[in-house]
Amino acid sequence: MLSCADFLAELGDYIDDAASVELRVHLEDHLRECKTCQVIVDSTRKTIQIVTESGSFTLPSDGIEPIVSGVMARIRQRTT
Amino acid sequence: MSQPATNSNDPPRSYPQLVAAYGFLPNLFQVQSPIPHAIEAEQRLIDRVVIRQNRLSRNQKDAILNAVATVRRSDYCQALFGRSLSVVPRCNSVLLDFSAKLAKHGPWVSGSDLVILKSSGFDEKTVLEAIVTTGIGVMFCALAEGLRPLLDAELTLPARAELLNVPEPLDWPKPSGAHLSLSSDSGTDSRAYLVLREQFGFVPNLYRLQSAVPELLDAEVRLLESVLFTEGGLSRVQKECILLAVSAANLNTYCATLHSQVLSILGIPLEESDRIVEDHSRSGISVTDRALLDEARKLASLPGRTSQRFESERLRTQGFTELQVVEAVVVSGLANLLNTVQAGIGAVSDFPPRRVFGPKDLYPFSDDSRPISNATLSDDPDAALVARVQSGNIDGFEELVRRHSRRIFGTLAGLLGNTEDAHDATQEVFLKVFENINRFQGRSKFSTWLTSIAINAGTDLLRQRRPSEPLEDGQGDEGFRPRQVQKWAEDPERLLAASQMNELVRQAVLRLPEKYRIAVLLRDINQLSTEEAAEALDLSVPALKARVLRGRLMLRESLAQYFVRQDKTDA
Repeated sequence: MLSCADFLAELGDYIDDAASVELRVHLEDHLRECKTCQVIVDSTRKTIQIVTESGSFTLPSDGIEPIVSGVMARIRQRTT
Repeated sequence: MSQPATNSNDPPRSYPQLVAAYGFLPNLFQVQSPIPHAIEAEQRLIDRVVIRQNRLSRNQKDAILNAVATVRRSDYCQALFGRSLSVVPRCNSVLLDFSAKLAKHGPWVSGSDLVILKSSGFDEKTVLEAIVTTGIGVMFCALAEGLRPLLDAELTLPARAELLNVPEPLDWPKPSGAHLSLSSDSGTDSRAYLVLREQFGFVPNLYRLQSAVPELLDAEVRLLESVLFTEGGLSRVQKECILLAVSAANLNTYCATLHSQVLSILGIPLEESDRIVEDHSRSGISVTDRALLDEARKLASLPGRTSQRFESERLRTQGFTELQVVEAVVVSGLANLLNTVQAGIGAVSDFPPRRVFGPKDLYPFSDDSRPISNATLSDDPDAALVARVQSGNIDGFEELVRRHSRRIFGTLAGLLGNTEDAHDATQEVFLKVFENINRFQGRSKFSTWLTSIAINAGTDLLRQRRPSEPLEDGQGDEGFRPRQVQKWAEDPERLLAASQMNELVRQAVLRLPEKYRIAVLLRDINQLSTEEAAEALDLSVPALKARVLRGRLMLRESLAQYFVRQDKTDA
């Protein structure tokens, strides 16, 4: 049986679905028995979802064209 | 050269078990008539492994053989093996996926593939039966390719088959010991063990691991006796050289090691075997034997240095007799069988390998057959636009800026923490990219290259702003232990308004030490793959993974106070 430290070392691959089938079997054996690791897996997944879906660093859609035109104007100025 | 084992005065032999298996004697066996003892051994192998109802049914084994013929693109074997095949039950797909992978990408088979089989309810003896059946299929495909039997009147060519979906493997498996843990040595005084000890001086692990299914091991060893150990047209040294060269072409470290040792016992120095493994044309063997190994290697399972087909005529013009040509093909087929079985069961070398094959040995001369990684130019959606810009078309760059400005802005905003600075920095990054576009050589995706330039520009700006703050935080990436272990609410997103949530995440990300912040930005906000993010940051994949995990766990700690469940009943 894996320890919690072993489990946490593999948590990234487990969450990203990058663990081998064999490893996943061992990790899930541990997870069935360990409430603390269940909480950590659940809350880390929710963290990723919150961060991924947040618009914290998103350029608004009307912000794209000013960047495009600004860059292209400077390039055309330099090349003419 | 020795004399053929048979001559034209021998009475024609009958092969009742083959006739019983197929309803007639297929041409694939008739074309081997110069070596009837090999046909007999093949007949025994088919009877013991394929025909007899053991753990897998005949239909399951025919389905495996048919799958192997499909992935090996052998029309003859598809016609032969498909003839007696009834409908493949749906529950066999795990089995067929495994056999198809083993037949097409043997060196990539790992313990994980066998865990999938075992977790689907196949016990180890059944898995072994599937592996050997796959090996038999691969062997017969090689025989059909080398001997090119005419299609029998009883057979019909298959309709252009849908090719089985066998994903291109990308990760070379790490050495992990044998894939099966079958109790071995159950037949230490068996006939098979006696023959192996007599021929090799010991029982190699490849055969030991199969001893738990004695009838299977016995049939395989009888094939070895008939094809390899019996004096025929080719000498034992020539046959062992074929086994060595084909095993090397199949990147089979185990079999190359074993047959180098056997050649050593037969008087061929290990250094000479090393040269055959690397490039037999540079070894000290005769010109005719070089031609023999050239042709034998063409029958290997993995695509090699040439896409040319086996040429029996070339061997005849070099003076090889019909018997020897057939033997060369059959020994090559045997090598493919042994390589496939070894790849399936993962037998560990009996001797320290002199040469361990790895991914760098793949497809050394054949770029067309190399599996294409996701990062190659042909898969890069920006490749055509980049090429246009590199040839002087400025307008193409406008589209590149439009495609990537949102992502680059997001990276820089996350790094700099300020929308206005991120806006200016994004423009500067694109100008820098335009100035250096001719340096981009397509070794990574354009987007990965662009991201690495953005990260460098962003960290340079941070250094100017806060010259005393180190990028590294002095801690290792391992060892971070979560402190907050209370259960979170089911839908934390619903607890706050979108604008509050955005601000909360923004503050939490900006509080992360820079190296973790960048890793999380690339993976979770910009949605780069692990490999792309590692490449953009010039980090190894494990180092990137460690930083992403640490960053995520720190974010989790930081956000937990807002999202833990209010009821205290759990955890």
